[in-house]
Amino acid sequence: MIRMIQISRWTQALIFLIGFLILGIALHFFLNSYIHAILISFMINAIMALSLNFITGLADQFSLGHAGLMAVGAYTSALLSKELLSDHWFFIPLTVLAAGLVTSFVGYLVSLPSFKLKGDYLAIVTLGMAEIVRVLILNWNSVGGPRGYNAIIKFPNFLLSYSFSVFVLVVTFVVLFRLKKSWYGRNLWALNEDDIAAEVMGLDLVQSKRNAFIISSFFAGIGGGVYAHHLGYISPGSFSFLISVQILIMAVLGGLGSMSGSVIAAFILTILPEVLRSLPTGSVDVRMIVYPIILILMMILRPQGLLGRMELLEFLRSKNWIRS
Amino acid sequence: MNLIEVKNLSIQFGGLTAVDNVSFAIKPNEIFGLIGPNGAGKTTVFNMLSGFYQADHGEIIFNGNTITDLKPHTINRLGIARTFQNIRLFKGLSVVENVIVALQQREKHTWLDSLLETKKFYQTEKILFEHSIALLKIFELDRYKNHLANALPYGAQRKLEIVRALATQPKLLMLDEPAAGMNHSEKAELNDLVRFIKNKFQLTILIIEHDMKVIMNICDRIVVLHRGQKIAEGVPLDIKASPPVIEAYLGKRIT
Repeated sequence: MIRMIQISRWTQALIFLIGFLILGIALHFFLNSYIHAILISFMINAIMALSLNFITGLADQFSLGHAGLMAVGAYTSALLSKELLSDHWFFIPLTVLAAGLVTSFVGYLVSLPSFKLKGDYLAIVTLGMAEIVRVLILNWNSVGGPRGYNAIIKFPNFLLSYSFSVFVLVVTFVVLFRLKKSWYGRNLWALNEDDIAAEVMGLDLVQSKRNAFIISSFFAGIGGGVYAHHLGYISPGSFSFLISVQILIMAVLGGLGSMSGSVIAAFILTILPEVLRSLPTGSVDVRMIVYPIILILMMILRPQGLLGRMELLEFLRSKNWIRS
Repeated sequence: MNLIEVKNLSIQFGGLTAVDNVSFAIKPNEIFGLIGPNGAGKTTVFNMLSGFYQADHGEIIFNGNTITDLKPHTINRLGIARTFQNIRLFKGLSVVENVIVALQQREKHTWLDSLLETKKFYQTEKILFEHSIALLKIFELDRYKNHLANALPYGAQRKLEIVRALATQPKLLMLDEPAAGMNHSEKAELNDLVRFIKNKFQLTILIIEHDMKVIMNICDRIVVLHRGQKIAEGVPLDIKASPPVIEAYLGKRIT
């Protein structure tokens, strides 16, 4: 019985992947590079939102410095491919992976002091960390300092860069989703609900939170790596505090603790500003008024986020929109 | 041989000595009561035993290990489980998940198994589920298994907290005012429940309680605290007649 479910699940995944590839080929030929760029930045945003949701939604530890982790990943990947691997695009997956590893080490360093205390200290520490990273890069001349780091190797065409981003997004989603559904995710829910009770059950709070943050940092670094090779240009300004906040908005809007919610929210919040560009821009940029109004309305109407804690299928079932 | 031995335990908060030089020892398979008027320091003793407070002076020896400065999760792994005066369930998790969280701390998991959904992952999940249902069945809570924990009636929540503590396979179970907020028939039921748990799981039980009927009925021995100090120790009948205890609860007789 179990074996059958497993096989059908892998087949499902295969069908899903093939579908994505066909979609990619179609997009490659029929859409312009503007839409291409938006699509890829949606996927990067989704990776970042997923990464943040794992630590903030599941483990209830606020991180306000995900842009800083993203910067570490982006610069690591860019530096590696430029200085060590002589600018070949087929090394990009390798450097992005390395970026993830380096960032998770940074995450480990950050987690050392932050989890000795209970409460929202992680928010303060990560906020500081992001600023330190930004200022370091700003004063580091060999990576361009404030001018930014230029001419980073990109994929030669859209199809490749699309496939790579889809692959990374799917891996991120599957890994974090599986972790959420596993014993580890249950531990994180428990300490999120009541950390004192969780401790009395024999759960090592410090260790659990630390691991969660290291995993989250890994994927944030990967997201940064994809970002660097997507744009080909990064500067300290691309990883400001506002980016951290934007990632947080996506995670909250999708629903803290809901992995599919993060992807959906990333999609909406990446597309929305672009769609609103069609609004009139006379003496007043109407877009800048409408966008926040939509956000405020969403927060009033669904304060728990679009899906709350549930995943997409669970949500649809709970509303009886699909059969279970 | 004592299961747990508390020696000269003291703790201060600012200038207030909440627990002052308290010593007692509990034998295996005993139901031991800790009583005293409000603010006597009972819960503080509990918090030191379970590792939430670090004692300023004194020593706690459990099963041959000194646990005075250990963290709560390590103490639990050595075999002490507790419940709380104000119920602390994982409210947003289902009843069965509450028990699974407690059970799974003793299971060996690997990350890879849950990532790849291997056979072992499903097996462990199945074992955890069945094990927790079996536990819930003993306490007739299995009919609520898919309810959220905070949707249970009050008495069932208290019971679930005990089940969850038992799931960590303790040697010593500490109950912090289990009868609080219960009516007469529920209290009578609690009496039987505590005895039943003790016999079924071969446990030693340390219990804090305000309700004298409950305490006098089920405890083998009792320690009385007053303003952080131990004023009496003995079997229920002696405690009932002990002048310092009566004075602590009712005040001095006017002569």
